[in-house]
Amino acid sequence: MTAPVIEVEGLRRTYRVSTGAVRRRTLEVEAVRGISFSVGEGELFGLLGPNGAGKTTTIKMLITLLVPTSGTARVLGFDVVRQSREVRKRIGYVFGGDRGLYDRLSGLDNLRYFAELYGVPPREQKRRIFELLDLVGLNGREGERVEGYSRGMRQRLHVARGLLHDPPVVFLDEPTIGVDPVGARELRATMAALVSAGKTVLLTTHYMFEADALCNRIAVIAKGQIVAEGSPSALKAMVTDGVVVELEAYDPPPGGADALRRVPGVARVTVEERDQAQLFVVQAAAGFEGTPELIAALGDARLTRVATREPTLEDAYVALVEGASG
Amino acid sequence: MTSAPAMTGARATLRVCLVGGLISYRALFNWISPALYIPTMLLGPVFQILFFVYLGRFVQLRDDSFFVVGNAVQISGMSGVYAGVMAIANERQFQTLSALLASPANRPALFIGRALPVIANGLIVSAWGFGVSALLLHFRPAASSLAPLALVVLVSVVSCTAWGLTLGSLGMRFRDVFMIANLAYYLMWVFCGVNLPESALPTAMVWIGRALPMTHGIQAAREIAAGGSLGGAAGLIGVELGIAAAYLVAALLLFRLFELEGKRRATLEQA
Repeated sequence: MTAPVIEVEGLRRTYRVSTGAVRRRTLEVEAVRGISFSVGEGELFGLLGPNGAGKTTTIKMLITLLVPTSGTARVLGFDVVRQSREVRKRIGYVFGGDRGLYDRLSGLDNLRYFAELYGVPPREQKRRIFELLDLVGLNGREGERVEGYSRGMRQRLHVARGLLHDPPVVFLDEPTIGVDPVGARELRATMAALVSAGKTVLLTTHYMFEADALCNRIAVIAKGQIVAEGSPSALKAMVTDGVVVELEAYDPPPGGADALRRVPGVARVTVEERDQAQLFVVQAAAGFEGTPELIAALGDARLTRVATREPTLEDAYVALVEGASG
Repeated sequence: MTSAPAMTGARATLRVCLVGGLISYRALFNWISPALYIPTMLLGPVFQILFFVYLGRFVQLRDDSFFVVGNAVQISGMSGVYAGVMAIANERQFQTLSALLASPANRPALFIGRALPVIANGLIVSAWGFGVSALLLHFRPAASSLAPLALVVLVSVVSCTAWGLTLGSLGMRFRDVFMIANLAYYLMWVFCGVNLPESALPTAMVWIGRALPMTHGIQAAREIAAGGSLGGAAGLIGVELGIAAAYLVAALLLFRLFELEGKRRATLEQA
């Protein structure tokens, strides 16, 4: 790895939550529990985890919107708490969702405004804004008020806004959420282009294929802790270097998953509900030849599909997150 | 794609103040349509002036000028208090506060920039009040008093806007800040001597009024409208300016305090 651009050491963040109207109780919730990682220059680092795992809290600490309860974080050598303004000058960020744009301004005015906030020189602004509008595919729509934009258009405007001042480090928090498949593919191409241009990117996403395709390294975060870190292929290998057998079954016997787990060579079984059917995803050791035993374990269930495939990042992710849940 | 280095120093601060302030004012206030602006900022204040002038004539407490000046200065407070509050609190309401706070922009410059259109609007409303009073109520200050009167109104509007920004900063911490704005507006009506002379108020109310914006500005405006010189009202104007500066400093300190607190308590994004 090249010189670290983002360095996180023992980062922890707790929230106080009050409950009850009459007898108010204050609970302390640990959103991030002492995580450490670093991201090298020009790297695209993925932070994967389920909802509430601590991904967004981590990003908010790194972009100076939240003060860590303990631990340290540095971006380009600047401490995110003590040198927050220096950090802000050098980073761009993109949040998924509708927040962070002025609905009653046009897309162009939103960009002009943020260009001022980030000190983009006036003679640069116009060229920069139209380059970015072109990049995110909003050319021709920039004069319309944002309140009339679709979710995908807003998201693309967010991306343009995050890149206005040409930051060397970019934080992307679920940037393709709510974007249609074509738009999401274009955004992924933009992310890849950012890395090609030498930028360092920290990405959070729920889409495993996105992380698999884009990230140099990934950290899986669950319940505020990093449960695994490595390249996508290393993560897949960490969970299983074997095979995955999928069995789609109608009317499986009660305890079907447990029956599958007892088959020799089976490492892990997860169950997904599919309308009236259940999909059993069986992770097994390399060279596993027990598919007939798996079928037999499901007894009289009506099987509509049995397939064997290579493990994906999603299999690794599910296994890691479930392992963290105990 | 490569870019020139970001602007820094005085030039960047000035642009954030003027250009950024103007765009953000539009962002936060362009929901105000003529259909809303005319009744609220122009027609309503005229009725207010007429009501108090005729009430004054009925009770024979003071002459028309007392009520015209008091109310024509005070009506600018609607812009100062409410728009001052919204200039900060709307960011939270519109869920754009995080985007703003994650930027390196100079906060004091940005909020002072936002206050400039608010001040201009307050001046327009006050000038409208004086103009309508001249037409309908034959309010006729000496021509030589007009420029000093305009200066006093400007100082009063600035002071009132700084008060609005102070209340708006509370919006970084408290959700129901618009209720505070309502209270503050009516508080000024009672305590600032808009329609009552100081001598008619209990001592405690007088002291509270003296800590509020506009009280000294209204007194100065009355002196000037009655033919007094600018020099004669300089003391009152100076105090009003001091109050403006104090509220502006309070607004910026509170904003900073609540920004830091919000980052510690994770409350910045709670709309």
